[in-house]
Amino acid sequence: MTSDPYSARVRELFACADHAGDLEKPSARVQISEQDVRLALAADIDDDIIVCLRFRAWGCPHLLAAAEAFCRAYEGRSARKLLVFGAAEVMQTLPVPREKLGRILVLEDAVRSLGQSVRVSPDPGKDTD
Amino acid sequence: MNSDADIVYLDYAATTPVDPRVIEVMTPLFGPGGDFANPSSGHTAGRRAMARVERATGQLAELLGCGERELVWTSGATESDNLAITGAARYRADRGRHLITMPTEHKAVSDVFLRLEKQGFEVSWLYPDAEGVLDPAELEATIRPDTQLVSIMHVNNETGVIQDIEALGAVCRARDVLFHVDAAQSVGKLPLELGSMPIDLLSTTAHKIYGPKGVGALYVADRPGCHVEPLIFGGGQQGGRRPGTLAVPLIAGFGAAANIAMAEMQQNREHLQALNDRLWQGIRDLAGVVRNGGAESTFPGILSVSIEDVEGESLLLALEPLCVATGSACNSKSQEPSPVLRALGRSDLLAQSAVRFSFGRPTTREEVDFAVARYREAVARLRSIATGLVA
Repeated sequence: MTSDPYSARVRELFACADHAGDLEKPSARVQISEQDVRLALAADIDDDIIVCLRFRAWGCPHLLAAAEAFCRAYEGRSARKLLVFGAAEVMQTLPVPREKLGRILVLEDAVRSLGQSVRVSPDPGKDTD
Repeated sequence: MNSDADIVYLDYAATTPVDPRVIEVMTPLFGPGGDFANPSSGHTAGRRAMARVERATGQLAELLGCGERELVWTSGATESDNLAITGAARYRADRGRHLITMPTEHKAVSDVFLRLEKQGFEVSWLYPDAEGVLDPAELEATIRPDTQLVSIMHVNNETGVIQDIEALGAVCRARDVLFHVDAAQSVGKLPLELGSMPIDLLSTTAHKIYGPKGVGALYVADRPGCHVEPLIFGGGQQGGRRPGTLAVPLIAGFGAAANIAMAEMQQNREHLQALNDRLWQGIRDLAGVVRNGGAESTFPGILSVSIEDVEGESLLLALEPLCVATGSACNSKSQEPSPVLRALGRSDLLAQSAVRFSFGRPTTREEVDFAVARYREAVARLRSIATGLVA
């Protein structure tokens, strides 16, 4: 039993958030702001394949780690996968304590919104805030 | 002494390591051959153990400037606070049921008042000014004919703000109201002369001054109308005010720690002031950084800072291997903004970003320089990750 609220995985993702940043000309970008969470996602997509993902985040370590984990996992996958991204996957794999569920649901909303903006926005780089 | 290879400890307001000189006093009191006996026993071994307790009582009384018979040994400041507040409120309940305190108190005090409110007492909660200080005139205006007890801490555990307990106590004394002071953060660090101060009850603990955990004391002034009803019963030790077998090794350790604290108080304070100044000078130019509590009225062992546009929990993790606090250690698992910082007028976000650095005897300039570098680096990194986000 440990009193450490952060798993080794969360610590690694938090410390090495290599996907934090911006894309020069993203295919899609979304931002969500709530009281204790601010999150932006940007994607470069080529022929339905996610070439590159970046995030910006203001929030707790679990949110930052979850955003980094998402970016690492979804590069190279079909953009359609964004539409079915679920918070439960992140909650279990990091893991994230139950009281942080609301923050991970913000990530879920942002990812799905990103997926929708890819489909509905033919204009690359259009901001969908 | 305070730094392992993988941590830099700057959380001395939460607790301190036991001074080796204190350990030396305590160690022989545990095992066979030492003064391990029950000090209430009338035989030779018991009398020897009681002599250890009496010596420690004298040492603590000397540090506090009070009489030995005015001290009650407890398990720590939390018990002392509970005994002082509940015990005094009950003792004087037939005279009135109005009590006064502040929302900036430690939970060992504020939670006791919340409980007393549920038991039919009326509590007035006084707010400090923007620097964290309570104006004695405001206290005076709040005291009523049925007020029986005022409880104000000396040094705030989150901000280090020092209250003018002499002036506040004088207001209480003039109105025949008992005055309790939670001095967990100040005993052994700031000079106290209780025999000549208008203080009726004062709580303290050993582990904040390089003594052992698990032992504290309550000062109960030997004057008419000042008494506490006991919270526990059985045994009759300590005049029945706090029965139970006395923890001789812990008490002896507290006495030794008090003795050392008194001898080294001035040099320690100068050491802490230099470290505090060094840390604040190293980070004060950061955009959006604010000091919680005015520099003039703050104990130098504590530096609390908040910063705009940085999330507090992430900041704390990014600061590792620094061991610092977001608020009081007792409160650090809570996600709620600190009521102490909210009472100073800080926004929820600013309160949530607060970091409390606290220094001790073993803290070095190199550790403070490391803290400065780490804080600047963490703030820059987290702000970089959040660049461009709109609140």
